[in-house]
Amino acid sequence: MAGIVKPPGEFSITPHKVSVCILLQIYAPSVQISLPFPFASVAQHNRLGLFLLALTKSCDDILEPKLDELISQLREVFGVLNPRFVDHLTTRLSALSSPDDLFNFFTEMRGILGGPESCALEDEQVILDPASNLGMFLRRCILAFNLLAFEGVCHLLTNIGVYCKEALSSCASYETTCFEDSSSNLEAFPEYENMDLENFVFKKVTEEIEARKRASERVSFHLHAPKALFDLVEDIEAPADPKSKHSDKVGETSPYVHPPNYALKEFEPNSGIFLRTNWQIQGYLQEQADALEKNGSSFSLNAFELILRQLHKLAPELHRVHFLRYLNSLCHDDYFAALENLHRYFDYSAGTEGIDFVPPASGSNSFGRYEIALLFLGMMHFQFGHPKQALEVLTEAVRVSQQLSNDTCLAYTLAAICNLLSEIGVSNTAGILGSSFSPLTSIGISLSVQQQLFVLLRGSLKRAESLKLKRLVASNHLAMAKFDLTHVQRPLVSFGPKASMKLRTCPTNVCKELRLSSHLISEFGFESSTMTTDGAFSTAWLKNLQKPLGSAILSQENGSGSNENAFQFCVQPSSIPGSVLQLIGSSYLLRATAWELYGSAPLARINALVYATCFTDASSSSDAALAYVKLIQHLAVFRGYKEAFAALKIAEEKFLSVSKSRILILKLQLLHERALHRGHLKLAQQVCDELGVLASSVTGVDMELKTEASLRHARTLLAANQYSEAAAVAHSLFCMCYKFNLQVENATVLLLLAEVHKRSGNAVLGLPYALASLSFCQSFNLDLLKASATLTLAELWLSLGSNHAKRALSLIQGALPMILGHGGLELRARAYIAEAKCYLSDPSFSGVSLLVLLMGWRLRSWILKTHCF
Amino acid sequence: MNSKESCRSELRIAIRQLSDRCLYTASKWAAEQLIGIEQDPANFTPSNTRFQWGSSSIRRRFRTNEITSTPIAGVSYVSTPVMEEDDAVDGDFYLLAKSYFDCREYRRAAHVLRDQTGKKSVFLRCYALYLAGEKRKEEEVIELEGPLGKTDSVNRELVSLERELSTLRKNGSIDPFGLYLYGLVLKEKGSENVARTVLVESVNSYPWNWNAWSELQSLCTTIDTLNSLNLNNHWMKDFFLASAYQEIRMHSESLAKYEYLQGTFGYSNYIQAQIAKAQYSLREFQQVETIFEELLRNDPYRVEDMDMYSNVLYANECSSALSYLAHRVFMTDKYRPESCCIIGNYYSLKGQHEKSVMYFRRALKLNKNYLSAWTLMGHEYIEMKNTPAAVDAYRRAIDINQCDYRAWYGLGQAYEMMGMPFYALHYFRKSVFLQPNDSRLWISMAHCYETDQLRMLEEAIKCYRRAANCNDREAIALHQLAKLHYELGRPEEAAFYYKKDLERMEAEEREGPNMVEALLYLATYYKTQKRFEEAEVYCTRLLDFTGPEKETAKSLLRGMRTTQSGFPSMDVEHFSP
Repeated sequence: MAGIVKPPGEFSITPHKVSVCILLQIYAPSVQISLPFPFASVAQHNRLGLFLLALTKSCDDILEPKLDELISQLREVFGVLNPRFVDHLTTRLSALSSPDDLFNFFTEMRGILGGPESCALEDEQVILDPASNLGMFLRRCILAFNLLAFEGVCHLLTNIGVYCKEALSSCASYETTCFEDSSSNLEAFPEYENMDLENFVFKKVTEEIEARKRASERVSFHLHAPKALFDLVEDIEAPADPKSKHSDKVGETSPYVHPPNYALKEFEPNSGIFLRTNWQIQGYLQEQADALEKNGSSFSLNAFELILRQLHKLAPELHRVHFLRYLNSLCHDDYFAALENLHRYFDYSAGTEGIDFVPPASGSNSFGRYEIALLFLGMMHFQFGHPKQALEVLTEAVRVSQQLSNDTCLAYTLAAICNLLSEIGVSNTAGILGSSFSPLTSIGISLSVQQQLFVLLRGSLKRAESLKLKRLVASNHLAMAKFDLTHVQRPLVSFGPKASMKLRTCPTNVCKELRLSSHLISEFGFESSTMTTDGAFSTAWLKNLQKPLGSAILSQENGSGSNENAFQFCVQPSSIPGSVLQLIGSSYLLRATAWELYGSAPLARINALVYATCFTDASSSSDAALAYVKLIQHLAVFRGYKEAFAALKIAEEKFLSVSKSRILILKLQLLHERALHRGHLKLAQQVCDELGVLASSVTGVDMELKTEASLRHARTLLAANQYSEAAAVAHSLFCMCYKFNLQVENATVLLLLAEVHKRSGNAVLGLPYALASLSFCQSFNLDLLKASATLTLAELWLSLGSNHAKRALSLIQGALPMILGHGGLELRARAYIAEAKCYLSDPSFSGVSLLVLLMGWRLRSWILKTHCF
Repeated sequence: MNSKESCRSELRIAIRQLSDRCLYTASKWAAEQLIGIEQDPANFTPSNTRFQWGSSSIRRRFRTNEITSTPIAGVSYVSTPVMEEDDAVDGDFYLLAKSYFDCREYRRAAHVLRDQTGKKSVFLRCYALYLAGEKRKEEEVIELEGPLGKTDSVNRELVSLERELSTLRKNGSIDPFGLYLYGLVLKEKGSENVARTVLVESVNSYPWNWNAWSELQSLCTTIDTLNSLNLNNHWMKDFFLASAYQEIRMHSESLAKYEYLQGTFGYSNYIQAQIAKAQYSLREFQQVETIFEELLRNDPYRVEDMDMYSNVLYANECSSALSYLAHRVFMTDKYRPESCCIIGNYYSLKGQHEKSVMYFRRALKLNKNYLSAWTLMGHEYIEMKNTPAAVDAYRRAIDINQCDYRAWYGLGQAYEMMGMPFYALHYFRKSVFLQPNDSRLWISMAHCYETDQLRMLEEAIKCYRRAANCNDREAIALHQLAKLHYELGRPEEAAFYYKKDLERMEAEEREGPNMVEALLYLATYYKTQKRFEEAEVYCTRLLDFTGPEKETAKSLLRGMRTTQSGFPSMDVEHFSP
């Protein structure tokens, strides 16, 4: 969910910002004020600069760190051996005891900004360029302070007092200064005004701290599980190299990664909690949105909801929070909450913040962009499996965006409709899609869903290209390739010879289409905002502080620790936006599927491997699971079940939390296959039933899964020698596939029917099915399936009598190269057996015994191999 | 009613005690009720009747069912409020503190009482501290306005107050007023369940503190919580229940309670206003208007609840009365949200929507959580065709109160205006859920289903049927039902609804195009059904109207006679020159 971040809004000065200013003064001391202490090395100086930069940019939290957190971070950056920074910081902070001190402080700060005339400085002097990131920060602080009214200054002073007290109340040496503060500035501490006993102040503070502790205990008790999950999420987020990530997961005992115990802050009425800058919060929300997408339902619902609630309380005008709440509830299948939050978000924002690439200024802007709300609502219904409502809403979105001539939204909506039509089995859109909707229906031609989909895809692609929406173009090409893969394109008005039929299901064609989509990677440059990457850099750097902690103390001396960190800072996050990576990744997945259908196992495997190794970081968990599924399926076919189940175990651990995942389906599939092969028919039936249950889930009908389930049902029946029942199931399945235009499945089902007839001894009946399957395979370029259909055909011929053996033999030999090259273990074995049978039944063949012996030997080795089935 | 005299004496003592503790709102309320008690004719003096409605016509008009029943549980369990007073020395400090308090110097008042241990002093000290915190909070809300809206500032006294009051409660040395304050603090801190228990404790031991009751009422948002309260019987409980019922939209129950209370407090302005409120929710505008006229006659400087009166005047389009009311409240107190709202309504009626928005804005500046101003402002924006602003205003109203069906309805309307009927349905659904007996809502929803974009006629029919069942004033539903059935090719149903519509129009003595349409349809329908007698009746009625339908009716009649007699056309007119 990439989105344009709101323009950074107002900037308010807070105690934390004052601390950063103090540190800035250390980093770049002005001429008048001598450096309180020298830096040990240049590396250390740079490290401070990096640290300050990270502090102003990181978006790993919504709240500013408290003083003790800042101090512990400082200690980590510079080691415990170098406490001067901390001392300086705390003394300066506690010296700010009256409004006048603050005024003087900020005047002093102005001195460290280098002006345009300050070129005559000696080499040692560090100048803060006013246009640099830190310089800008400082200027904004000074400006914000100058804009404060006297009340504001008083509040700042109070807050600084609380800020210091919280951190230092444990530390006895600072107590005295604090007391001076509180007694001399009664005005500034309104909560103590009525108390004239100084002792009472102290008692109150300690009591408060205790109360807070109690609260935190209580909360952590409630949130035990979510917290653990959240931690998991947190460290997955850090995009470091996989090795360190792994080690990180094992030993998450860093001292200052504060668990999200925001709830306790809710109960503190008067502690100084401040939001970070608008920019940082937007970055945080962005990151969380990405994480939500990536981790799906494993993201903790409650912990995040708590944060959002607090954020909403602190910044009621930040409407984005509602959107994140919507995403959160969407990921956790909470329909009502999602609906509520979606409506609330768009009611408030009028669609003018959020979605990609909306040109901000246009005539219709003043009326809001509610069509975007429709688009999102449609996608939400789609997600929850209400295809009818989704189509209704999306049609409305099309209409409204046409009315308001919002072409961008229209393009996206069309793409969403395409997605919907291709994903969910809708047999007939006539009642749903309005008549004014597609240009062709108005001519009076009734189109099948597939044809409509094709028209829509073309239209959407054209629109996206003309609007230069890179990502949309890419994803449209992907959708187009997907469409090509499973559908034969006929001319829409089909009269004339069949020669005009274009066949684009060939994988090379699909790849051509896909290549069009990966142009994107070279062009994303000017779209992605540097803002988000900056924030991600800083977050990652801060997160990495704790990682080399063990070695940091040792390496501090020779300075290599800092170098290492600086190096990490540069290389860590890839500069390609996640959404682009995701699109490219899915093109690889699609390639794998194309090759799988075509029948080239090695190519399919390679593509899946590429995906699994290169794109898992950026992908959503369901896509990654799909890649794993493909790899495991490959293993099962080529290496047997033992290895496949071992791999499945690993995958299950990785995708544990995704409940209705493909992994589960894969497991059932594998179990079913194995049960069939071993002849455990009861088990097979049981597994098959379970698959059927998954297929009839509440969240919409997944046609793919449904066909899969009934196909397996038919196969189980066949294995149990219940031929007529198997044939009936297969027949009804064929009818369904025909109705929904699932042509690839059609070929499989026909082949199954041929198989049923072959097994039942009705070879003559089986022949037409096998031939039909063959022709389907041909027209869809399903080479492997074609080979196995040929094999079945040969077997059928063979069973018709020995006089057909020659014909069968020639068929088998024609298919052998394909089978040996790409077929799985079982298919190869079947081919050998059939071939041997041919030789045996051919009386004219000489040297039979030798050949048969040879074949027998080959077979035995195969069967040995396949024994692990 | 036996308890009139006892009520009176109870209230007299209570008022003194309440104002002694600076609980001014509660004592004001109690005093109002005291005056509201019907006088015995025995000690009837002219001076007493000055504020009373002896000559009022309103009672004769609306109080047909005289309630003669005794109180529900017979006798109240506490008859007179008795509180022990602090001793004399305390008393002096107390007097000083109270004076400071009256001058709104809360912290000073609290400081004076710092060492006092009497219950009264402790209460006043805590209460003063609480108010000081509230005042500071209000100031901070403005001072701390951040870039992304107001940051949530809190009353900084709550923590210490809670600690002190909970200790007192544990020791058992807390009086009902202290309990009330404790409940208030707990409610502010968000621990609602404890707050409810504490407040129940407070009202059970001292029922005359209306403040405590209203805090308790704000904590009872569902009927279940209300029923789970363990309240002792007292006549104050009836007041509480009536207002709580109103808040959870059980208007008729609430009305019944108030009418029962009127038996004792016959002249209470408060009860009158509350009855008006309930009647307003039941959409009995005529009665509301009468009640408010009476109220204003007796209490001309009243501003409370007058915004509702202005709504009624607005609905009845009485612009002069509205302007009179606006002028009156403006002179009384122009910086009350209610006054601004009334002026806003006036300008809205006059069609000056920009000015109207300005006054609603002012009302909202005075009270950010003033629900009806948000909703009304939304209506104004709708009038000005500024839908995004309207949507925003309505949404804010909803965030203040989830149950405001007007705001949900307004949102639906706004989205329908923007040509997003499917999206609007969500909001209409919400509003009919909250107010299922309002035909207008159902009709709007049906209309939404009927739009060209959706054409979900079956659903529309369902909605119209609901609307027809709940007293559809404008009589749109029946007509639409008939039309829709006709469109869907169901002549029997169409005829049924046309007939009903016709009956209704006859009963209300209305005529118009709908009448003609119904008659024409019925005539043709019965003709095709070969029920010529009925068809003839309708045709003859049609002859009374002018226009093309008259000719159609004539030809229909002619055709029927032909088929009936079996002869070729032998009409009289045929031969006439």
